[in-house]
Amino acid sequence: MAKPVFRGLLVAALFAITLFILIPPFVLRPAFIPGFAPPPDMWPRTVCLVGIALGLISAASGGLNRQIADDPLETDGSSRLHMVARFGMVVICFALFVVLVPSAGFLISTIALTLAAILLTGERGRWLWVALLAVGGPILIMMFFHSVLGTQFPKGILTKPFGF
Amino acid sequence: MLHEILSALIEVATLQNLLIMTAGIWGGVIVGAIPGMTGTMAVTLALPFTFYMQPVPSILLLVALYKGSTYGGSVSAILIKTPGTASAACTALDGYPLAQQGKAGKALNMALYSSVIGDFVSNISLIFFAAPLALLALKVGPPEYFMLMLFALTTVAGVSGGSLLLGLISGGLGLLLATVGEDMYGSFRFAFTNDMQSGLAIAPVLIGLFALPELIKLIVLRAAHHEETAKLGDQKVTRTEFISSLRTILKGSVIGSIMGAIPGIGPSAAAFFSYGEAQRSSKNGKNFGKGELEGIAASESANNGACGATMIPLLALGVPGDVITGVMLGAFMIQGLTPGPLLFQTNIHEVYMLLIGMLVSSVLLFFAGKVTMRMFSYVSHIPQTLLTPLVLLLCLFGIFSISSSMFDVAVLLGMGLVGFGMFLLNIPAAPFLIAFILGPMLEENLRRALAISRGDPSVLLSSPITWIFSVLIIFVIAITVRREIQKIKDRKAVAA
Repeated sequence: MAKPVFRGLLVAALFAITLFILIPPFVLRPAFIPGFAPPPDMWPRTVCLVGIALGLISAASGGLNRQIADDPLETDGSSRLHMVARFGMVVICFALFVVLVPSAGFLISTIALTLAAILLTGERGRWLWVALLAVGGPILIMMFFHSVLGTQFPKGILTKPFGF
Repeated sequence: MLHEILSALIEVATLQNLLIMTAGIWGGVIVGAIPGMTGTMAVTLALPFTFYMQPVPSILLLVALYKGSTYGGSVSAILIKTPGTASAACTALDGYPLAQQGKAGKALNMALYSSVIGDFVSNISLIFFAAPLALLALKVGPPEYFMLMLFALTTVAGVSGGSLLLGLISGGLGLLLATVGEDMYGSFRFAFTNDMQSGLAIAPVLIGLFALPELIKLIVLRAAHHEETAKLGDQKVTRTEFISSLRTILKGSVIGSIMGAIPGIGPSAAAFFSYGEAQRSSKNGKNFGKGELEGIAASESANNGACGATMIPLLALGVPGDVITGVMLGAFMIQGLTPGPLLFQTNIHEVYMLLIGMLVSSVLLFFAGKVTMRMFSYVSHIPQTLLTPLVLLLCLFGIFSISSSMFDVAVLLGMGLVGFGMFLLNIPAAPFLIAFILGPMLEENLRRALAISRGDPSVLLSSPITWIFSVLIIFVIAITVRREIQKIKDRKAVAA
């Protein structure tokens, strides 16, 4: 399937799911609405209907103009599978960060995520800078926010005895 | 009157006041340039310090922070495609491509010149048009507001360069996301968790959408960046470039001044609107989004142009134009001054001091910008593989410090993934963001208009102002569609 057609159908599906599956249980109408005020689901429903129409028009337009391809992505030449795996790693790292904060604390989790992000970009040469950025960076920034703004960053259950 | 003005000028031109304004501007530029730290944060944090200051210097400090942060947002927008503030989102569209071409200094200089001119024009408008413009804005009701915002959204959708259809889709997604949380009558929508009951904050959505996709792109695609970053010292804006952008700068300044004077609109919408107008009217319109100096000029002149103008309704009517002027309203109250028509009668000396101080701060912005630009220029020499993780780091700490909420950090990361998905699908991010910001106001005004008219939708075409905006919307759509049809024909011809 051509990318413009896929994009249009995906957008239409997203708005349709919101309209038919998410709005009924998650946008409840109150028992009493003052005066002639429109109900709370009026606006999301309107946006979804317009979104579905736009998605379908986009898909149809993509189908009619098949010979016009989108500009190709600039990559390092890796296979699609390889790139999907890299994206999967990003998602896993982000999810792990959120899961890790309550137990390891904000500082340790940030150090881990920064280090992972640097390594995932393919950086292998500047080890001193990598260490300074991944370890020194979070410590310095945390000290700045803590002392200047008084922000209390979450301490982890496991790392609390050590003060962070 | 002349005596009053001279007396106010002498009082403003003290070393103490100049130092306060310089510190405010400089602090604002630095805060605005750090992703995750906003002008609102800077002004709010400075508020306690004003307790110990005289009324006028305290307000000048807050105004200087506001102006500085609005300009500062452009620094990170240009250098690392991370708008420090929402109003600099449009600046990133052309600023970052210019930085990638090794013209970061040129982009930063154009942003500075446009900001200073926009700021100056805005201050002049504040001096001359405060009362009349504020009174006009007061007559604008919900239907007019709705149509104005719809017009702004349509323009932004057309701005996104690629396609009006994709821009509208992006805007639709932004509007949908903006409905999360409590609505104007207290009903919860899409509140899947307790954190979502208050809706999604602007900062994590903005930063996530603009900053994190760069990191994810670098990780997933690993496209090689061969561009050499040029030294900023060699990157002056030439006389020809400046003169060719001057019309856009002045137009952006006027747009910013007018939109800033309307309560609730603010610098972000002004910047998007000005950018769209510049793209539509410029002969270089097709280069917008690819590294066009005029794009930066349009965005920056409008967002700084709105800064001074947001003070118009605040001073003349006591109505804050945006969140920051809302904080300033509090500062006025703390100092025993009540903004509104009476302020011009009872505290005219303070009003003159404030207006002159704002003009002086425009000049200070220029020098602070020049100095800070060199300081931040070193950012462009850091390798992408280290810089983008550093941006992630700043974003994580910055977002958490705003609300002390891990939910906001999760939203930041989630929006990064969404932003990357939108990039893959060629859906522009700018309309999404502006729709997300304007969404609640758009909906509120539509629902108010319908409630007032007892459900009659014809209220949206009930006044000359709404008719004007309707015609403008149709005009913008027609122009954009025509341009796109031409583009499709050209591409078909090339493909054939």
